[in-house]
Amino acid sequence: MDNSVLAKFKLVKGPIYSHCFSADRTILAITCDTKCYIYRMQGANSPPKLHVTLENHDKTVTAVDISIHGRIVTCSQDRNAYVWEPLSDGTYKPTLVLLRINRAATAVSWAPNGYKFAVGSSARIVAVCYYEQENNWWVSKHIKKPIKSTINTLSWHSNGVLLATGGTDGYMRVFSGFIKGLDTKEAVTNSPWGEKFPFGSLIREFYQGSYINDVEWRSNLEKIAYVAQDGSLNVADYQGNVQSVDAPEGLPYRTVVWVDEASILCAGYTRHPVLFTENNGTWGFSKDFNKTSEGIAKSINSLDISADDDETANPTFGISALKKFKELDLKGSVSASVKESAHLNAIVDLKVFNENNGKVSQVSSCGLDGEIVLYNL
Amino acid sequence: MSQSLRPYLNAVRYSLEAALTLRNFSSQEVERHNRPEVEVPNTSAELLLQPMHVSRNENEQVLIESSVNSVRVSIKVKQADEIEQILVHKFTRFLEQRAEAFQILRREPIQDFSISFLITNKHTETLKTDKLIDFIIEFMEEVDKEISEMKLFLNARARFVAEAYLGEFVY
Amino acid sequence: MEDWRRIDIDAFDPEARLRPEDLVPNYGTTITLSELQPKISQLRSLASSGDMSSAIQLATSEPPYSADEQTKHQYFLAVLEALAQTRQTDMAKVVKSLDRAQKDVLVKYIYKGMSLPEGKKQGGILLAWFENLTQDSGVNPIVHYISDRRTV
Repeated sequence: MDNSVLAKFKLVKGPIYSHCFSADRTILAITCDTKCYIYRMQGANSPPKLHVTLENHDKTVTAVDISIHGRIVTCSQDRNAYVWEPLSDGTYKPTLVLLRINRAATAVSWAPNGYKFAVGSSARIVAVCYYEQENNWWVSKHIKKPIKSTINTLSWHSNGVLLATGGTDGYMRVFSGFIKGLDTKEAVTNSPWGEKFPFGSLIREFYQGSYINDVEWRSNLEKIAYVAQDGSLNVADYQGNVQSVDAPEGLPYRTVVWVDEASILCAGYTRHPVLFTENNGTWGFSKDFNKTSEGIAKSINSLDISADDDETANPTFGISALKKFKELDLKGSVSASVKESAHLNAIVDLKVFNENNGKVSQVSSCGLDGEIVLYNL
Repeated sequence: MSQSLRPYLNAVRYSLEAALTLRNFSSQEVERHNRPEVEVPNTSAELLLQPMHVSRNENEQVLIESSVNSVRVSIKVKQADEIEQILVHKFTRFLEQRAEAFQILRREPIQDFSISFLITNKHTETLKTDKLIDFIIEFMEEVDKEISEMKLFLNARARFVAEAYLGEFVY
Repeated sequence: MEDWRRIDIDAFDPEARLRPEDLVPNYGTTITLSELQPKISQLRSLASSGDMSSAIQLATSEPPYSADEQTKHQYFLAVLEALAQTRQTDMAKVVKSLDRAQKDVLVKYIYKGMSLPEGKKQGGILLAWFENLTQDSGVNPIVHYISDRRTV
């Protein structure tokens, strides 16, 4: 058993769809059902302490993000998004964002400078939202074309202009999220992605065919990593080249983060993170973290063995009631010998927890089992 | 386990494992709704995935229909003669009337199948996926056994009744 | 008063939704049965000569995605024949010789076979193929199959 799991916190009973840390990693925000919980981190050894509960939404909260200034944005299937401004007494003041969408909001991400954010939605719209001083509210501009289906995921380039999106229509697209008066032309001079970046223009699109589950920029390399429902990890660059790797265990990944310039960490339905690395320009599987031997092959074998045992070992125990209780006893609980991975259900979100000089040493994950796990890489 | 049953269950297991990769997905069609996309008339074609047929022969097959947030598994149980047909019908009906206790059971099977299960993202979030698959595989194993057992009982009983009744006429 | 509340306004927006035909990539040309006939006969002759490995390799490379349903069916029948003629002991070897794309095609034909009456009669053989395939590459080809829009 490897010792990659640094800490494991069981925080809530339901699934956590999204989690996020503040810039200094002292505050943890998670979404669960219609609420967003804010915790204070207390090191790896003691569980985070619940600080505030943000409960303005009345449908499932789908995503949360914290800006470099500490502002929290949450979005939900009730079609709304709120920006939560931290106050000096530790509470948060909500402001409704005018998203102007008529379906669920599914993903949210702050631009690196913290002055605008993008919201993905099932209304086939990406809303880029920014603060309007004179009216004292958050307004939005829409990117509509040529999105054909729900947006699952968003990622900003570090220049704050290029926005990568992925959705259920099977396209990973790069748009411009340039807001006049907020972004400067200098941010994108000499960008290899193009010359002009008017708001909402489609810069590049990559066809994958299956749902895109997560996208992530590596800005200094001008590359984008994305994972899809067909179990692939793909790395795309500005020339339109895509490299694709299959998940060694087959099941699709839900989330992806860059570890350094030549390694990417993925996680998803296999319940443990998997590292991919680039060697001589080719991406390939490198290593599993926190992997357990429990797998499909084993469960099939054990099925066979137990079937044989019943027939051969105890021919005298033909009494069906006894057999039934025996089976109940066997199947009702997991036998002690099976070692389970830290996450008991799919991992849906990975975030960087510790980073030095562009190299990530620790990541955090949240899963459908209501747990937050910290991994050492 | 008999020789030809194993590859059949194996194929169902692998197909289910691949299909049970669901997510919470709010409706694109209706505001503020979250519904199993496999069950509703859908105008967004991308939400439905390729259906998977696994058949052992004409009489025993499984259809797995998959979508972004739900999977429908329909099983056709072996029915060799009319008695088995009646028994399967009664048995599945018994289960379906208690569907709320089974969580994943559909109240009505889809056409041409004996029994259907509907698994949504809510189920994969609260139940262990491997156990869910185990349950369906086990159900498929057990149901055949159950039906043949019932048939034997029924035959034995019918024989007894017939003997008792016809015994009247024996001198 | 008109029942304007019941009007489905989304129906008037042509770009609103994806129809099944939008999901299939544009193949450019469609293959006709007469164009495909040589491949089918080649497949049949390979299968009857007992060179199963080459037959399956041929069957699973460049399947007629762009053809209409009837042509696809003719081709499918030839593939099914080849699959059914392979001995169970040879299957593992044949599966090993296929590359990733060919395995993805093979799994499509297995599922298609099991959904049609012609293939259901061969259920045991198709299941044996399926087992060999999953032993070789696990759940991977099935995950590909589920979200692949190109049908055979």
